[in-house]
Amino acid sequence: MFSTLTSLMHFAETGPTVHIVPNELFTIHGIPITNSMLYAWISGTLIVLFLVIVARMMTVRPRRGVIQIVEALTEFIVGMLENSFRSRKKALQYAPYFVTIFFFVLLNNWLGLIPGIGEAVTYNSEPLLRPFTADLNGTLAVAVVTMVVVQHFAIKESGWKRHIRHYFAGSLVNPATWLFGLLEVFTEFTRVASLALRLFLNVVIGEIIIAVFAYLGHLAAPITSLPFVALELFVGALQAYIFVTLSAAYLAVATQHGHEYEAEDEALEATAASIKSVKSAK
Amino acid sequence: MFVAELTGSVTILGKGLMVGLGMIGPAIGIGLVGNAFINAVGRNPEAAKFLGQALVIIGIIELMALLVFATLFII
Repeated sequence: MFSTLTSLMHFAETGPTVHIVPNELFTIHGIPITNSMLYAWISGTLIVLFLVIVARMMTVRPRRGVIQIVEALTEFIVGMLENSFRSRKKALQYAPYFVTIFFFVLLNNWLGLIPGIGEAVTYNSEPLLRPFTADLNGTLAVAVVTMVVVQHFAIKESGWKRHIRHYFAGSLVNPATWLFGLLEVFTEFTRVASLALRLFLNVVIGEIIIAVFAYLGHLAAPITSLPFVALELFVGALQAYIFVTLSAAYLAVATQHGHEYEAEDEALEATAASIKSVKSAK
Repeated sequence: MFVAELTGSVTILGKGLMVGLGMIGPAIGIGLVGNAFINAVGRNPEAAKFLGQALVIIGIIELMALLVFATLFII
């Protein structure tokens, strides 16, 4: 029985080569350059060039083709922001960051699906190019930047004092307020991890599934892996949408509950002032 | 020799158990979300526009299943 299982395991080990972590290609003055960093520079340049060209070509009168698609997606994201902030003005105010991050994630996901990116082309027996979003460092960077920007917007919107107060919502003499407040602050850090992990795992597992089905297909690899490439096109777009929706929801939650406990704070301050005045009268 | 074979077999059994048991929760969760969405659309066809929100919640649950799947390649 054991030998059968071992032979099965041996079969599993000779399967397609998959990588969860990016591989180091070479070092520049001791700094390791991984394949995902290399492709991140290429795809970053391509995305910036593409969006700048599209922005230059945009006119008041709608034009056909790629420009129309970019316009429609921008309007879609602005509409989504309008839904979560419940105001067109706020949505337009925050749109530049969220639309940018949407196109960055979407185009990085899609650029990673071009044939030749991944295990196919090798350099020193390691894959030469790797999608930027299939690297946990990359998605973690995107998530950290997003959460820092969300905190910045929230503080700008409601001020330092009220922003910290919204974590510790409720009566300040109640110890449960402090407990749940600390839990809320901790939640902000888990949000960074969950945003990063969700994007990373979806992309990297898509890559693995495509690799597995290309391996199973052998000579017919293009036919067997094609449906999964199509699925990954959908998943890449969906993950970009989910990333933007969740970060917009975090910002909406952080800014909208800033007004509820104002009255209580004022009452507390008034009580403190009256105690002071009584003390001074004595 | 036998110990090495045993360790390999236990590893492959453990991987199978991990994927099989770990996918149960997310599968039930995604099923519940789909059930609630279809119910809502059945009662009120206007609710079909909330498909995006349903997909976002599915994305949140899917993370748990993907963690199991990724652990398969790490251990």
